[in-house]
Parts: sequence; structure tokens; C-alpha cells
Amino acid sequence: MIDESSPSLEPPGAVRRLQAAQLRLAAVALMTMMTGTVLDVFFRYAFNKPLRISYDLVESMLVIYVFHGISSVFLARRNIVIDVIDSLVSPHILRALAVIADVVSVMCLLLFIWGMCQPAIQAFEYGDRKLELGVPLYVLWGFALAGLLGTVVCALAAFVQISLRQLRSPR
Amino acid sequence: MNPGIIGALGIGSLLLLLFVRVPVWAALALVGFSGNFVLSGLPSALTLTGTSAFDVASAYTLSVIPLFVLLGEVASNTRLSADLFNAARLLLSGVRGGLAIATIAASACFGAVCGSSIVTAATMTRIALPEMHKAGYDDRLATGSLAAGGSIGILIPPSIILVIYASIAEQSVPKLFAAALLPGLLLTALYMAVAVGIAFAYPHYAPRIKRASIRERLKALAEPWQFILLFIVTIGGIYAGIFSPTEAAAVGAFGSIVLGAIGGRLTWATLWQSIETSIRTSCMLFVIIIGANLFSSFMVQTQFPTMLAEGAGALNISAPVVMMMIVLAYIVMGCFLEGIGMVLITVPVFLPLVVKFGYDPIWFSILVVIVVEVGLIHPPVGMNLFVIQAQAPDVRITSIYRGIVPFLIAPLLLIVILFLLPSLALWLPKLLYG
Repeated sequence: MIDESSPSLEPPGAVRRLQAAQLRLAAVALMTMMTGTVLDVFFRYAFNKPLRISYDLVESMLVIYVFHGISSVFLARRNIVIDVIDSLVSPHILRALAVIADVVSVMCLLLFIWGMCQPAIQAFEYGDRKLELGVPLYVLWGFALAGLLGTVVCALAAFVQISLRQLRSPR
Repeated sequence: MNPGIIGALGIGSLLLLLFVRVPVWAALALVGFSGNFVLSGLPSALTLTGTSAFDVASAYTLSVIPLFVLLGEVASNTRLSADLFNAARLLLSGVRGGLAIATIAASACFGAVCGSSIVTAATMTRIALPEMHKAGYDDRLATGSLAAGGSIGILIPPSIILVIYASIAEQSVPKLFAAALLPGLLLTALYMAVAVGIAFAYPHYAPRIKRASIRERLKALAEPWQFILLFIVTIGGIYAGIFSPTEAAAVGAFGSIVLGAIGGRLTWATLWQSIETSIRTSCMLFVIIIGANLFSSFMVQTQFPTMLAEGAGALNISAPVVMMMIVLAYIVMGCFLEGIGMVLITVPVFLPLVVKFGYDPIWFSILVVIVVEVGLIHPPVGMNLFVIQAQAPDVRITSIYRGIVPFLIAPLLLIVILFLLPSLALWLPKLLYG
């Protein structure tokens, strides 16, 4: 099930703008992936000259797409949860579980950021690049880390929303 | 502590976290990280966490997911699916249960382009349910055929769940797509047979509608030409070896945008809506795959699946019995777990066991998809049933539950056929790819 247990209450404007910017970046990455692949296919079959960069382009754009697209999933609380327990416990406990789930989610995101720092630094130190595209790998790691930081902000905003909502809701 | 026991504890913790509503991705990631930490220490677990997330998010084979989701969203928003249903409806007019059969046929065709059960069920409900209500169809038959038809979307290629399976099991996506085609077509035929059976057994469930003229039928055949074109280019392109799955998805998504724009059905607003939904849907999947990847590496380290296989060997349990237990476990889990989450959680555990007992991983992928399909439509938590109810709030959930029960015979029968005749799934991949 999609976790929509606690929507509404608008997030702060800055968070919405951040999420909108990340969404647009992910959209651009998706369109670039699609167009790059179509052009590769077209040039391959029409002129026997495939775009050699297309493979690298898709991989690079996918990194931007995923790490910047997930912020909207977290802000809209669209992560999949198993809701078997919903009919077994009181709404009070459910609200507490939602808070725990949010804390665990933010912790996991921070764990990913922590885990990605070292490989990102190594990519910078070694200066590895995408073979055909020539883009340094640390740039992609940078995009990934920036996307995850934005996601943490969105996840925290969603967490604050649910907490405020619970404080305001009648007991 | 024995790594196998740590693995068993990990699985127990995972189930507990899932039960207390921790998101599937976070539960997988947390258990995966903790397990790797216990087995190999903090630096190694951290590096694995960081690199596995990046590796999943830059895997070329997985780029097929957002592109096919985009294709499905654009096709749905530009009402290509409506053309398809209309054609099937007119062609089958005059046949008892014709609208139910048309719904299943159109769902199978739509699923063959979009690859997602939920999108198929939601789209076809919006289109077909009002028509069936208008024709006086009983809610049970109407929603049953919609739920069943919608579930075919994950079996008929391109199937997003098969792409995900391929990434975990390190299998070829085109081979899996080829393996799914015949079972997918057979399942469609079985669902249609169930619908016809119900319509004849209970004629008041499916009043006969007026037969369309030959002219109307011919005209209807030409209506979904855009859809047929997309289907031939994408799926035909994969089977003919012209495109890789990613290329087929990109060409299909691009084609659907161009066709929608030419036909005047696609506005900027619709395109943005399709892109936004695609991003949300596919990123939701990616984040689970990232968690599952971490969990999977933990499972590999624990050798828990090997321990299970050895345990089964020590107890002298035969291979078919083990397989039946696995199928039963999937069906039970399907009552509580969501499909993709279920695949990601279970495949790292079950696949090594299945391979050890001499079964083909490609054959197993089809079996897994069919049992996931059963999970999508069987009460109490069949996702398709909720999707239909969300689209049709006036239909009671109990009617939907009762409507789907006879349709469950079809996938269960297909599982039996797949056991008796494994070549149903293995013949085409061998023929096409050797």
C-alpha cells in the first residue's frame, strides 16, 4: 500500500520550491535519456552511425533522475508500506508507528549519504570518467549526494507535517 | 554466531519492521546494512551501502523502468487505451459476456505496452466500467474481469517486475520477456474462459448487447492503429532483436508523445502530468530496489539460502514438494505483502534454493510473476482490487472480493500447467536466443 496516512498541511514554501526544482531536474534527465536513446537508434539505422555516448548518457541521466526524483516520493509520502496492522491497533498507535517509520526513513537516508561520501571522495581523487561521455564520475556522485540531501529535507518536512497534524488533531 | 542464524534473524527483523509499517525500502535497507555491519564491520558495510545505491541508480538495464512507465502514462492520458477497448467492445458485441472479454483483451494489450498492473487496472476501470454498468453488467463480473485483466499487465512483456527480477537474479531481460509471452497469452485465454463461463452460468450477470454491423466492426478495427503501431515497434522490436529493452521503451515513449501530439490529445499539461507521475512511480520502485540490493548482499553473505537447501536435503524433501511450499508461501505472503516488495524480499532467499534443486531461473521468474499476480487480485489486500475500488467508489469492496474469486482459478491452473509443462516458459527464449 502507499503510505498516505497523513497528507495535507502544506510544507514550507522553500521545501516546495526545492522539491519542484528537483522534480524538474529529474524530468529533464528523463527526457534526455529518452531523446538520447531515440537519436542513437535513429542514427544507427538511418546512417549506420550510432551515438556512442548514448549508453553513458543513459547511465548518467539515470543517476540524476533517481536521486532527484525520490524527493517527491518522500514529500508526498508515497513510499510503499505494508498496512496489515492498520485494522489491528488503535489510531493512536498508528500515529506513533508513522512517526517511527519517518524517523527510520530519515536515518536510512542519512546512512546512504554517509556511505556515499567515501566513494565520492575516491572518485574525485582518482579522477575517473565515463568512458565515452567523458564526464568525471565525481560530478555524478555530487548530483547523487545533492539529490539525497534534498530528499532528506523533504522527508523531514513530511515528518514535521505529520507531527504538527498529530498535535493539532483531537485526541 | 553462525551466519545462517544471523540471516534467519535478519529475515525475522525484516518481517517485524514491515509489520510495524516501516516503508519497505527502509526496512530492507536497515536490515541489509545491519547484517552487513555484523558480518563484515562498519567500513565495509558503509562502502557497500553507498556503492550499491549508486550502482542501482546507474544501471543501464534498469533505465527501462522509467521509460516504460512514461510510455504507459502517456498512452493512458491520451486515451489510446479507450480506442483499444472500443474496438474490442464492438468486435465482441452480440457475444454473451462480450464486454467482460473485451475488457480482458484490452487490458492484456494495454499491459503489453505499459508493463504495469496498477496502471492497467486503473486505466481500464475508468474506460470499461461505465460501459459495463450501462449494459447492465453485474458489479461482480465487471470488477472481477477488470481486476483479472489488469493483473495480466505484469506478465505480458514488457513487465516491470521481470526487469526487477532480472536485475536481482542477473538474468537477461529479453529472455525473460520471451519466457513470459506464452504464459501471458494462455492466462489471458483462461481469464476469458472464466468470464464466458460466468456469463453462461449466470446470464443476468452479463446481458447480451446489440450486435454491431460489419461496417461498424471494420471501422472499430482501424481505430486503435496508433496503439498497434506502438506495440509492433516496441515489443516486436525487442523480439526481432532490433532494439534492446531500453531502446524499445525510449522509442515507445517518444512515439506515444509524438502520436498524442499529432492526434491533438496531448497537451503540455497532460505531458507534464505523465512525466510527474512516471517520476513518482518509478522512483518509488528504485528506492525499494536500492534497499533490496543491500538486503540481497547481506543474504549472500549469510548463505542462508544454502542452509535452507541443506535443511530440505537432510529432511529428504523432494524438489516438487519444496517448490509447492515456495508457491504456497508466496500465496500466503501475497495476502499481506505488496508485489514488487515481495519479489525483492524473497528472490534473494528462494532463487539459490530453486536453482540448487535443478529448476531454471527463467522458469522460476515466470512462476514468481504468476504468484505475484495472484497476490494482486486475491483478497484481502489485492492491490488491483483497491485500485478498482478507488476508481469506482460506488461499488462495494465485498462485491469486488466476490467477483474476483472465480477468476483465481485461471492463474492457479496456469501454475499447474507450468509445473507439468516447463517448456511453456522455456521454449520461446531457447528459440529466439539459444
